[in-house]
Formats: sequence, structure tokens, C-alpha cells
Amino acid sequence: MTLLLNKIAITDGNHKTLISPISFTVAAGEILSLMGPSGCGKSTLLNVIAGHLPHDFHCSGEIYLNNLLLNNTAVEKRNIGLLFQDDLLFPHLNIWQNLAVALPNTVKKSQRKMQAMETLEAINLSFLADNSPAKISGGQRARISMMRMLLAQPAAVLLDEPFNKLDKSLRSEFRDWVFQQIQERKLPALMVTHDQADLPDNGAVLQWPWQQPKEQLNA
Amino acid sequence: MNAFLFLRGLKRIPYFQIGFILTLGICFLPLLPGLAGLLLSALGFIPALNQYHFSLLGFYQLLSWPGITQSILSTLLVTLASTLLTTLLAFSIVQSCWHSRWWKKIENLLAPILALPHVAFAVGFAFLFSTSGFLARIAQLLNESTTFSDWEIIHNQYGLGLIFALTIKEIPFIIFMSIPIFKQLNVDKTVQIGQSLGYSRDQVWQKIIFPQWLPKIRFSLFAIMAYSLSVVDVSLVIGPTNPPTLPVLLWSWLNDANLFTLPKASAGAFLLLLSCIVLVYLIRFLEWLIAKRCQGWQVNGRFALPTMGKSVILITYAISFATLLILFTWSFVQRWSYPDIIPTQWSGRFWLQEWDYLWTITKNSALLAIASATIALICVLILHENNAQSKTSNNTKTSKVSLRFPLPALLIFIPILAPQISLLFGMQVATLYIASQHYYLWVIWSHIFFAFPYLYLALDGPWRSYDQRLDKVSLSLGMSPIKVWWKIKMPILLPAILFAWAIAISVSLAQYLPTMMLGAGRISTLTTEAVALASGQDRRISAIYALMQSLLPALFFILAIIIGRKTGKLENRTRSCDKNDIITQ
Repeated sequence: MTLLLNKIAITDGNHKTLISPISFTVAAGEILSLMGPSGCGKSTLLNVIAGHLPHDFHCSGEIYLNNLLLNNTAVEKRNIGLLFQDDLLFPHLNIWQNLAVALPNTVKKSQRKMQAMETLEAINLSFLADNSPAKISGGQRARISMMRMLLAQPAAVLLDEPFNKLDKSLRSEFRDWVFQQIQERKLPALMVTHDQADLPDNGAVLQWPWQQPKEQLNA
Repeated sequence: MNAFLFLRGLKRIPYFQIGFILTLGICFLPLLPGLAGLLLSALGFIPALNQYHFSLLGFYQLLSWPGITQSILSTLLVTLASTLLTTLLAFSIVQSCWHSRWWKKIENLLAPILALPHVAFAVGFAFLFSTSGFLARIAQLLNESTTFSDWEIIHNQYGLGLIFALTIKEIPFIIFMSIPIFKQLNVDKTVQIGQSLGYSRDQVWQKIIFPQWLPKIRFSLFAIMAYSLSVVDVSLVIGPTNPPTLPVLLWSWLNDANLFTLPKASAGAFLLLLSCIVLVYLIRFLEWLIAKRCQGWQVNGRFALPTMGKSVILITYAISFATLLILFTWSFVQRWSYPDIIPTQWSGRFWLQEWDYLWTITKNSALLAIASATIALICVLILHENNAQSKTSNNTKTSKVSLRFPLPALLIFIPILAPQISLLFGMQVATLYIASQHYYLWVIWSHIFFAFPYLYLALDGPWRSYDQRLDKVSLSLGMSPIKVWWKIKMPILLPAILFAWAIAISVSLAQYLPTMMLGAGRISTLTTEAVALASGQDRRISAIYALMQSLLPALFFILAIIIGRKTGKLENRTRSCDKNDIITQ
């Protein structure tokens, strides 16, 4: 599975260039990190790939996922998982229901709870199944949010500062776990971050002003 | 020296506490005579009829009245159908249009549509949909064999016209009340996450956002249900007639010269209140069932029902503005025979003929509304300050005995949750014992009582979003609490206060039953005249009064918006400076 961006350029509502034409490929299991100051277009680039470009913005170039052109594909059919700094678990559903939401339609009604429970057991959080998201810790919510994304069986993953809101003690542990999940499933991943410490050990970095990715400096 | 002591004495008077007690007296006291008078009369204790013993005579009379079953059933049908349709259609509109290129226009048009009074809307609606109305004329033009009487909806015996009109009128209200809820629900991010999980936009709205929205819009649904259940004025204009809906029936009994219909009327008013309580619990039960108990549908995969939100909003707005247009047209008509599509003769004669009386009752209505809205506004400001202070004082222990305690929301919203006719019946009985000849006083009192919850609701958001740290900083600069309020808080919240005041004026201007019942028919307003004339024969005169009834509140809204704009946007004033602001600067 590969994610390929070919000559992607983005302009805002005032025709100001946010991102000049840029091309890169993210291979299966690779995590490409985007770094740069606020307002340089990192999150907008993720939005373009996910299909959430704001109305007044304009984008040119092509996005391919596994050699399929995504530009005109409906957002929900792109098969791209998103992880934000806020876990965004649905507050009206309990934990197992939050996971069941992500299961494919092919999973039968009677099987949905069982599969959600199996997923929770895999991360040793099955005891939280009937809890409300508001009643569990930030670290637990982050893990469940990640598992929910993976249950939808995405073909690529976009991470928008996913570790920002976690405290130091949890952060490195959760970060390693997320990277491990992505690499095990061989998913191409694009991550926006401000923090050098969040960069994966063997990943590439795309630093502002945008140019072709370089190997990570501290690798 | 004496002057000094006097001033020192003045400073020691606990103004806020006195204001708070007065607020409780003005805005909540009517509940006691309202409910007690209703209960006692329903149980046969009516001293005016020399009935000093409790009995169920009223209920027997009520239930043996021919047609009562049909009247109750049509009332329940109208209430449930209009509430259900409003809920589903309002949600489907937001689902289809939220943050689309249409959304800003939809949002901007909400205010003028909300300002349109129910009675004026109903009169215009009747002019559009009656068997000789504008749509019938168009139908006749398109196909000469078409007769509208085959599918008459005005005064339809099942209340179809009433259901349709109430739905169209309440949809903008539910959308208006939903906007802050959707902002709070972080809809945009939820849609993004839902779509990344493979859900379409519609599926995210129906499966993930709807179950979260439903419990939060609960109070507004109760309010539209209670309004539909107890509406008299709109029902008189377009509702069923044989038999009419229960509130209209009660109203006719209350107006009967024969006082012995009073037990029957009071039993009916009590029944209406009971129905309202049952329906509140029914809505609550359905909400619990859909959002909490049966959650299987929310997690069983990616399915959604088709919606027609864009068409619905188009129809809603088209009908709302068409009612105004048709009222305006009819007010200048000299001759408009059926089936002509446009009038054959125009004239301003009826405006000139009615002007003197129209001007007198316009002034009367405006003065009543300004007085009621201003007093209600002062009461609401005191109550919001009380709530804000009680939150602060909960965190700081003081040795003083404080009167500051937050009032339960249910108590504040009873006037819009309970059937108006039921409460007014008891209030009217109470005024008979005090001094019933002070009609203006009682009418203003009742208008304050019914405008109060709307005002409270309108100022709740701005008061919550006000940055309390500004008060703390100002106090630390040596300003007195009153000065802080007057110089800092009030100017910041002025646009919201003015808009809320305009809302209260429009609520007061639209009051029909309170004016008629507590004014004993001696006080005329644009609303009472518009309702009285709507059942008359001359559409031109009806149109003039209905049009004036819609123009007057619009005038106050425009005034509030203009003054508010001159002082800046509320969002910019109440927003605290957060980290992102600093970063982007």
C-alpha cells in the first residue's frame, strides 16, 4: 500500500499560495512526518488528502492511494483513517459501541459487540467496555480512538498532532504503540507534529519550507 | 451631616436582594394563583358561583359534552404530528445545509421569520391556502376543472392546516435553538471522523449527531409541544371548527355569558395541563428510547434514511415570506374576485379608513409591550446576575446569610411549558379576589410572566460566555461592583441585551389569551384585533391588522440590530483571548 502525492498545490480564498507544487510517496509501513510553523499548511495538506478541503480553498495535483486516483473519490470512500490530538470518541456511546461503529457493514449485528470486545481485550481494556468515554483516562481514550480508526480497516493513516494532549509519562508509550500498530499493518502514514521528540526513529521528515523529504536528522 | 447619614443609609440598603425578591414576586408568584385557582375550580370550588364544596361536576359536564372525544383527539393529533414533523424536518434541514453555501443565507433569514407573529402568519396562511386563496387561484389557472374544496386544509376537521402551519412556523425556531447545540457538539470534526470511518455525511448526521442533539433540544421540543397543545389564536384562524380543538372549546366556554359553563371550562383546563404533563413524559420516553435504550441502530453499520432538507427549507421560507406578501397585497386591494390571479382594482382606502383606530391600538400595543419587556428584562438581568454570583459564592465561603441561590430551570420555563389557558384561568380567578378592575396592571403582569422565559433563554448564552475574569480585574482596580456592571459588563453585553429586549417585545405583542382574559376584553391590541377580524368577511381589513402586527415587532428587532451593530459584534466582545489568538497575531 502506498500513498502518492503528485504536484499538489494549495491556494487559499485570497489566491495566496499555501503550498507550492509538492510531490512525495509514503510507502507501506512508513511514517512521514510534516514539520513547520503554524499556518504553513500542514493540517490543510492532511485535509486535502482526507477530502476535507475548505470551500474557499483550491487544490491542484493528484493523490493516489494504491495507484487509485483519490481526487474525485467521495470522502467516506477514500479509506483513509484520521487521528487528531482530541480523541473525539462519541460521547453518547459507551466504549464498545464506539468501536462497533467502525466495524465494516459486512459484520453481522450479532457479531458486532463480540468483535468490539475482542479488540478491547487485545489492548487489555475490556474492563472499560460499558463505560462512558467521559469516565476513562486520557491515555485510555487515545488508545481506543486509535483502535476505532484501525477497525475501519483504513488503507492509509493521517495523524494530526496526535500526541499533543497527552502528558509526558503517557506520551512516549502511546507514541511507540501507535507507530508499532501502523508498521504491523503496513499502512502508509502521514503525521503532522511540532515536536522533534515525536518523530519515529526510522521515518522521513518533510520540513517547511516544503521540499522532498529528508531522512530524519536524529535517526 | 443629615445628608451624609442619608447617603450612608442608602448605601446600606441591600438593593440586589430587594430586586431579587421583587423578581421572584413578579415572575414566579403568578404560578401559585395560576395553579391553585385552576385546581380548586376544576374540583368544583368556585365561590363566584356559590360553590363551596369539592365535586367532580366539572369533569362530568366536560366528558358528557357531545364531540369532546373528537376535540381531544384532534388536539392530540395536531400536537403530536406538528411536534414530530417539526423535529424531523428541522433536523433534516440542518443535516442537508450545515456549513454549505446555503447555510449563511438560511441563518440570516431566521431572525425575520422568527419575528413574524403566529397570528399574522396564520392569517396570511389562510389567505394562501383557503378554497378561494392564492394557491386555489393558481390551481384554477393551470387547470380549470381543479377545485380546491376537495382538499381543503383550512378549518379541516382533522386539523391538517393547523398541523402544516404550526410545523412551518416552528421549524425556524428549532433550527435557531439548535445552532448553539451543533456548535457545542463539534459537528465539523465529528463529520470528519465519521467520514474517515467510512460513513457518508448523511449517515454521520443521522447515526452519530442526531442521538446527541435530541437530548439537548429537549426543552425546545417541550415548548413547541406545549404551544401546539394550547394554541387558541392560530387555531381560531385556521384550526378545526366542528368541533374545535380543546383550548378553543375552553376559550368559548370561558367567554360564555352563562357562568355555569365555568366548572366545565376549569375541568377542561385541568385536563389540558394533565395532557401536557403526559406528553412531556411521552417525548422524554421517546427520546430515551431512540437515543439511549435502543442504541443498536446507531452501531449496526452504514445506513441512512433519505432526507429532503433543502426542499423543506425552501418550502418553509417560501411560505413564510409569501404570507407577508399576500397580507401586503390584500391590504391594498379594492377588488380581487375569484379566480383572478392578481387584483383588478387597488386602493389605499382601507388604510385611511382604519388609520385612526389602527394608530391608537398600535400605540397601545407598543406601550404595553415596552412596559412588559422592560420590567421583564430588569428581572432577567437580576436573575442572571444572581446565578452568576451564586456560582462564585459557592466557591467562596462567606459568613453572611445569602439570598443568592440558582433557581431550577423547570421553574423558569413553566410559563412556556404549561398550557397558557390553564395557568391564565387560575390567574384570572386570583385577580377577581384582589382588584380585577386594574386591567392594565394585570395584563402587563401576565405579559411579563410569559415573556420572562424567552428573555432568560435569550440572555443565557451571552451571560455564560462572558469572561468573568474581566469583573475580577475591574474589581482589583478599585471599581465598585455596580460600577463594574455598568461600565464593563453591560456595555459588552449590550447587543445581546437589546436583542433579548426586542424578543420580549415581540412575545408581548403576540399575546392573545393573557390580554383577553386578564384585560376582560377591555384592552385591545393589534393581536386581539387581528384574531377578531380574521374570522370576519373582509380580507382587506384583516390583512391590514395582521400586517401591522408583523411590522411592529420587526421594527423593534431592526432597532436592536442597528444599535447592536454600532457597538460591535457580540462574539468579539465575549470571546476571551486564548492561546491561538496570540499565535495567529
